[in-house]
Amino acid sequence: MLLRDLYTLSMHNLFLHKIRSFLTSLGIIFGVGSVISMLAISGGAKKEALAQIDAMGIDKIIVYSKAKEQSNTSSSSSTSVLDYGLNYSDQNNILKMENIKRVTTARRLRTPITKGLETLDIELFWVSLHFQEDVNCDVIKGRWLTPSDFENSSTVCVIGRNVKRKIFGLGEKEIVGKTITVGKSNLKVVGVIENKADTKLEGINNLNDSIFIPSTTGVSIFTEYEMIGSISSATIHHVENDLFIVKVDDLEVIDHTAKRISAFMGRAHKTKDWGISVPLNLLRKKEATQNIFTIVMGSIAGISLIVGGIGIMNIMLANVYERRKEIGTRRAIGARKRDILYQFLIETVFLTILGGLLGIGLGIGIAAAITHFSGMPSEVSVISIVGSMAISGIVGIVFGTYPAWKAANENPIKALKAE
Amino acid sequence: MSASREIIRLENLEKTYFKKSLAVPVLKGINLSIYEGEFNGIMGTSGSGKTTMLNILGLLDVPTGGKYYLDGDEVEHFSDDHLAGLRNRKIGYIFQSFNLSPNLTIGQNIEVPMIYGEIPKRDRVKRAKELAESVGLGHRLNHRPTELSGGECQRTAIARALANKPAYLLADEPTGNLDEKTGEEIMRLFHDLHEQQKVTIVMVTHNPELETQFNRVIRLRDGRVVSGND
Repeated sequence: MLLRDLYTLSMHNLFLHKIRSFLTSLGIIFGVGSVISMLAISGGAKKEALAQIDAMGIDKIIVYSKAKEQSNTSSSSSTSVLDYGLNYSDQNNILKMENIKRVTTARRLRTPITKGLETLDIELFWVSLHFQEDVNCDVIKGRWLTPSDFENSSTVCVIGRNVKRKIFGLGEKEIVGKTITVGKSNLKVVGVIENKADTKLEGINNLNDSIFIPSTTGVSIFTEYEMIGSISSATIHHVENDLFIVKVDDLEVIDHTAKRISAFMGRAHKTKDWGISVPLNLLRKKEATQNIFTIVMGSIAGISLIVGGIGIMNIMLANVYERRKEIGTRRAIGARKRDILYQFLIETVFLTILGGLLGIGLGIGIAAAITHFSGMPSEVSVISIVGSMAISGIVGIVFGTYPAWKAANENPIKALKAE
Repeated sequence: MSASREIIRLENLEKTYFKKSLAVPVLKGINLSIYEGEFNGIMGTSGSGKTTMLNILGLLDVPTGGKYYLDGDEVEHFSDDHLAGLRNRKIGYIFQSFNLSPNLTIGQNIEVPMIYGEIPKRDRVKRAKELAESVGLGHRLNHRPTELSGGECQRTAIARALANKPAYLLADEPTGNLDEKTGEEIMRLFHDLHEQQKVTIVMVTHNPELETQFNRVIRLRDGRVVSGND
C-alpha cells in the first residue's frame, strides 16, 4: 500500500483533532527542542574552543610572565624595582631540552603608546622571527619581519589589522611605508597582519591591536627597565621576556615536555612569576567538560523524549479504543491486520515527526535566545537537525507500535459492536 | 434457479462457543446454497444464530464444524490475510449504522475498499464517482458523512460495498437505523441493484415487514434452518 493511500486512510484524523494532536506531541516538541538547543550551545562552545586552539596550533607550550604582586608593606613613596618574568637564561635552558623545536619570544612594551594626550588601545611587542608563523597570523599587506631586520636592528614594524585605523583613522588608505612614532622612536611600517580567530594569548590582548618589531630593535631602542606610575610613587619593572611560545617536535610527549619546563622553571625562579599552559590540554579539558555537559543534557532530553513518547502511546491507545468501530469496519471491508497496523503506526510517526519539526524550530529559537541574552555562542548543526528528525521518527515507531499492534489485533466482531 | 452459479454453499455448518468448559452450540448443522442473482433474506428472532451466521458468511468468524464454500473455494483453512482479501473482493458488507469514516469524504469512503484492494488511484476515483452517481449521490462526492442524511449515508455504504464488484452483498439490518420512508427507499435501491445489475444479496434481518421483499427467505430458529432451504 502506498504512503499516499495510508495518508487518505489516516491523516485526516490528525487534522480533525488539531489541538489534541498538538498536545499529544508536546512532549516530543520539548524533547527535540531541548536536544537541538543543547547541541547548538555545546557546538558553539566547541567551535569557539577549537578556533582558539586552531589559531595557536596544538603543538605549542605557552610559558608566560606573571607580574609579581607588589607588597603593600613597602613604603609607597619610594621607587621600587620589580624584577620578574621570563629571562634569557630560561630561554636558553628550554632550548637545550629534548623535543623542543624552537622558542618564539615576545616582550611587551609597558609604557603606554600615546597619540597626543590620548592613550591608545594599542600594545607594542618586540618579538622573534617566527612569531607570526607561530601565532597563525596572515600577512595581508606588505611583509613580515625578515632575518635582516633582526640582524640590523631595523626600525621597522608590522602592525595588526586594527592598528591603522586607531592611529591614522579611517581616511588613510596606504599604510605600508608610513611611519609610526612610539615614544621617541620612529618605526617604518612594512606590513600588516591579521589574526582571523581573534586569539587571546597570555599577556597579549589582541594580536590585531598590536605593533610588532624585531626583538633586537626592541632591546636597542627601548629598555627592559620601564617606569610605571606617577613620579612620586613609580615602580620600575624589569622584565626580559613576557612570552615563550615553545614549539615541540613530537606531540605525543608534549605533556612530558611541559612538565620538564615546569620543573625547570620552578627551580630557576624563587617566586611564581611565571605561568605555563598547554593548549592541547585546554582542548582536552574543554572537551571533557563539554562531554559531561552533553551527557547530562542528553539524558534530560532523552528523558523528556521518553516521557513524550509515553504520552503519545497513551493517547494512541485511547485513540484505538475510541476508533474500534472504524477498525472493525475496515477489517470487514478487507483491511488486513497489517493495513490497520500501518495506518495507526503511520499516524503516530507522522505525529512525532510533526512534533519533531516544531521542536527543531523551538530549539533553534531557544539557542538564538540564549546567544542573544547571554552571549554564549551557539551553532545549530545539520546533523543535529537530521538526527532529531530521525529520533522523532524512532520515538513514533517505538511508542506507536504497541497501540498499532493492539488496533490490528482487535477482534473485528467485537470491534464492530463497539459504539 | 439452480441453473445459476452457486455463490455460497454451507455443508453441515456448525458453530459452538466455549464459555469456560461449557459448550454453547449456536449453529447446529446448517445446509444451505445461495445462487447468483438471488435476493435472500436470512430471518430469525434474537438468539436464533442470525448474527453468528452473518459473521461466518462475512468471513469475520470461522465455523467450528462443517464447510463453507464461497464462490467455489472452501474458506475454512485460509490465513487471516487471505480471509481479509476475500472479504475485500468477494463480499460487500453493509452495516446497520452505515459505518462510514466521518473524516473522509463520500468519494474517499467509497474508495476505501479499493485502497485495500490496491486499485490504482486514477481508477479508484473514477469508479467511486460512477458508483456515487449510480446510487444518486454524484453531487455529494466531496461532502462528509456528517453533512448527509441517514438514507444518503446508507447509499454511500452500498456504493462502498459495490466498489470491488463483490460476489454478493451482505447486509446486516440495513434499514434498522432509518425511518420507514427512507428504509423503503433503501430497499428500492437494493431491488434496483438486484434487478438491473443482477447483484446477489443476502440480507440479515429480524424485521418481519421485509419478509415479502425477498425472493427467498431463509428462516433460522435455534441454530437450524427451518424453512427456505431448497
